[in-house]
Amino acid sequence: MKSGHKLAAALPILALLATTSYVRSETPAEAPLPAIQPPSHIAAGHSTPPAGVLTNPYKGDADTAAAGAEAFASMNCDGCHGGGATGFAAPSLADGRWRYGDSEEEIFQSIYYGRPKGMPAFGGVMGADGTWILVTYLKSLPVPDNKTQSWETP
Amino acid sequence: MVRVRLTYRLAVPVLLSFSWILLVGGGAAKAAEDGQWTMPGKDYASTRYSGLDEINAKNAKGLHPVWTFSTGVLGGHQGQPLVVKNTMYVVTPYPNVLYAFDLSKEGYPLRWKYRPVVSPNAIGIACCGLINRGASYADGKIIFNLLDGHTVAVDAETGREVWMTKIADMSEGETTPMAPLVTKDRVIVGASGGEFGIYGWLKGLDLQTGKIVWTGRNLGPDAEVLAKPGVFNSHYDSDDTELASKSWPQDVWKEGGGPVWGWVSYDPDLDLLFYGAGNPGPYNTEQRPGDNKWTNSVLARRPSDGSLVWAYQFTPHDSWDYDAASVLIVVDQTIGGKARKVLVTFNKNGFQYTLDRATGEVLSAKPYVHVNWAKSVDLKTGRPAVDPAKETGASKGMVKNVCPSLEGGVSPVAPAAYSPRTGFFYTSINNLCMDFGATPVARIAGTPYIGAGTPYFLGPDSKNLGGFIAWDATTGKRVWESPEPFLAWSGALVTGGDVAFYGTLDGYFKSVDAKTGEVLSKFKVGSGVVGNPITYRGPDGKQYVAIYAGIGGDPDLFSGDVVSGDQTDVRPPSDFMKDIGRHTSQGGMVWIFGL
Repeated sequence: MKSGHKLAAALPILALLATTSYVRSETPAEAPLPAIQPPSHIAAGHSTPPAGVLTNPYKGDADTAAAGAEAFASMNCDGCHGGGATGFAAPSLADGRWRYGDSEEEIFQSIYYGRPKGMPAFGGVMGADGTWILVTYLKSLPVPDNKTQSWETP
Repeated sequence: MVRVRLTYRLAVPVLLSFSWILLVGGGAAKAAEDGQWTMPGKDYASTRYSGLDEINAKNAKGLHPVWTFSTGVLGGHQGQPLVVKNTMYVVTPYPNVLYAFDLSKEGYPLRWKYRPVVSPNAIGIACCGLINRGASYADGKIIFNLLDGHTVAVDAETGREVWMTKIADMSEGETTPMAPLVTKDRVIVGASGGEFGIYGWLKGLDLQTGKIVWTGRNLGPDAEVLAKPGVFNSHYDSDDTELASKSWPQDVWKEGGGPVWGWVSYDPDLDLLFYGAGNPGPYNTEQRPGDNKWTNSVLARRPSDGSLVWAYQFTPHDSWDYDAASVLIVVDQTIGGKARKVLVTFNKNGFQYTLDRATGEVLSAKPYVHVNWAKSVDLKTGRPAVDPAKETGASKGMVKNVCPSLEGGVSPVAPAAYSPRTGFFYTSINNLCMDFGATPVARIAGTPYIGAGTPYFLGPDSKNLGGFIAWDATTGKRVWESPEPFLAWSGALVTGGDVAFYGTLDGYFKSVDAKTGEVLSKFKVGSGVVGNPITYRGPDGKQYVAIYAGIGGDPDLFSGDVVSGDQTDVRPPSDFMKDIGRHTSQGGMVWIFGL
C-alpha cells in the first residue's frame, strides 16, 4: 500500500504500525487510490497522501461556462443556491468563498459525490462531464471586490 | 398585587359592549385557565389566548427580562416553548435538541436535555431554512418532529425516548418542521416539501407506540385521500368523487406538492381536525392544468381513522404559491344574526376567510392586506374572482405587480391569536408584493422543484413593510395597526389582561394594548423574532411571558447578509429590505419576561 509506505517513512510511530497487519502492506498493487487530492487540506507531517489527480477538461472555457449557467438552472441548483448562485437556502457560490475548498477538483467532488451538510450527490444524474461543465461555470463567476465588509462607513 | 386564579373569563361588561361575541369554541378552551401552555396554539382551538391577567395594559410598561438562555443553535427559532407543571420545554431547530428547564429552581437549571441523532441530509432538503415549529405535551410525553422525517415521543419527566417513528422520506424531498397536535390517542403530523414535488399527506400515529395508524393524502385518488362515500362532502361540488385526482393531469398529483407545514386545530364537539395543505408543484402552472385539489385547501378529518369529512380550496390552480398553511382558529361568532361555529384564517393569498367548520361553506372572505390577484371571493361558488392579467405561467414571462407576495399577507409561520374579551383577532401582516416569472422545470427527486423567480418589493399600503394588527372578523375591518419597518414574522399572543404580544424581525419583543394597539413595552432581544410568544403562571404564582429570538427560515433566505456563522457564505444586502442586516444577525435565545 503506497500511502502506508510513505507515511511510515515520515513518522517512526507509523513505521511501527506498518510492520503489523493493521496496515495492509501485503496488498499493495490492487488497492485503489483513495478518492482525489484535497489541495486545501493541511497534510499531517507535510506529507500529502498520494491520490488520483482530476483535471477539468474545460478549464477556463467561456462557452462551457455559458452551458454550465444553463445546467445550473436545469439541474435545480438555483432552487437552493439561488439565481446567479448568490445564496438562498444553501450558501452563496458567487462570493469567492468555498466551504470544501476552492480548487476545481474539490468543487467537482462536492457536486459529483455530494457533501454531508445537505448537498446531494449529482454525479449519478450528471456524470463526470456534466459536473465539469458546472464547475467551469462556477469558477467563471466574478468574485466581488470588497470581500470582507458588508457596509461602507458613511 | 392581585393574583386571581382565573376561570375562563367572559366578563359581563365585555359581553355588553361586544354583544356579538359568543364563546370561544372547543371544549378545551372553555376549561379553567391552568396557567400552562401544553400545545402549540395554547388550546385545541388554536386561540393563543391565555386567561392570565396579572400583566395588564396598566402595568405592562414594567415588563423586563428575568431570564435568558442561549440554545447554542443558529437556525430559525420558530414555534414556541411549552410549560407543563413546573417545567419549560424548548425544542431547537436542527439538530432538534429538547431542553427541559426546572422553573422551580433559581436560574431555571436543566432537568435534562434530549439530543437525538438527526441526519444532516435534512439541511439540504429543508426548503426554507433550518426550523422547528414546536412540540405538544400529552400523556406524560413531549412529542415533536425531527427535521429529517421522524416523530419522537420523550418522557416529560425523565427525558428518555419513548418511541421514534420514521414518518417522511427525505429522498423524495420530505422534511418535517411542523408541530404535531395530539387528540385523544392520535399524534397528527405532516411533511414539508411543496418546493420538492412531494405527494403531500397527513398521518395519524398511535400515541402509545408511535405506530402509523393512517395516512391521508392531500391529493390523488379517493382511496388515498381517504374520501369515503357517505362521509366526505364538498360543499361546492355536486359530484364528490375523485375530486383530488380529476383536478390534475393523469398521475401529476404523484409529485404535486400539497405539503402540511402549518398548524393543526381540533374541535372536540364535532370531532374534526382542521389543517391547511400547501402549494401545488411546480410553481409553473402550465405543467399542472386543473384546479389541483386539495392543494391550497383546508381539510377536515376524523382523528381516529383520518377520514376526510370536507375540504375547501382557497386558491384553485395556484399561480402564486399561496399555501393555505395558516392557522385555522376555532371560534363561535354571530354572523348575519346567526350563531355560527366557524374557522377563521388569514390566508397567504391576502383574504381573511370565515368558514362554517361543520361543512366548509365560506361565510365571508375579506382582504386584510392589499390584494390584486382577485377582486373578491364568490360566496355562492366559493371561487375567487381572479384577475386574468395576474395569472402566471412559463409562457407568460414575468408577470408584474402581484399582491400579496408569495410570503403571504401574513406568513403561515406566524399564527394569529383571538381574544374572547375583545372579540378581535391579532396577527402580523406584510405589505409586500412581487413579480412572478415562471419557468419550465424538471423534477429530480431530492432536489428543488420550483420553476419561478419572484422578486419582492414594498406594497402600496404604506411605507412600512410589516405590521401587527387587530382585526374584527365579523365586519372584515382592521381595528388598529402597529406599523413595523420590516416584514413581521412573529406569532401573536393575547391575554386576559388585554395585552397582546409579538416580536419583530429587527429583534424587538413588544407588548401592546389589545384594545388600542398602543405599544406598552419593547425590548431588543438580540436577534430577529420568528417565533411565537407564550404566557404561563410560574411556580411562584406570577405571570411570565416567553419568546424565542433567532432569525431564520424564509427571512434568512431573503434578508441578505444576516448570516455570520458561515464564513463561506457572504451575501449582498437584500434589495427590498436593505437595512435588516444592520439590526440583526442569527442566534437562538429563549427569553422570559416578567413584572
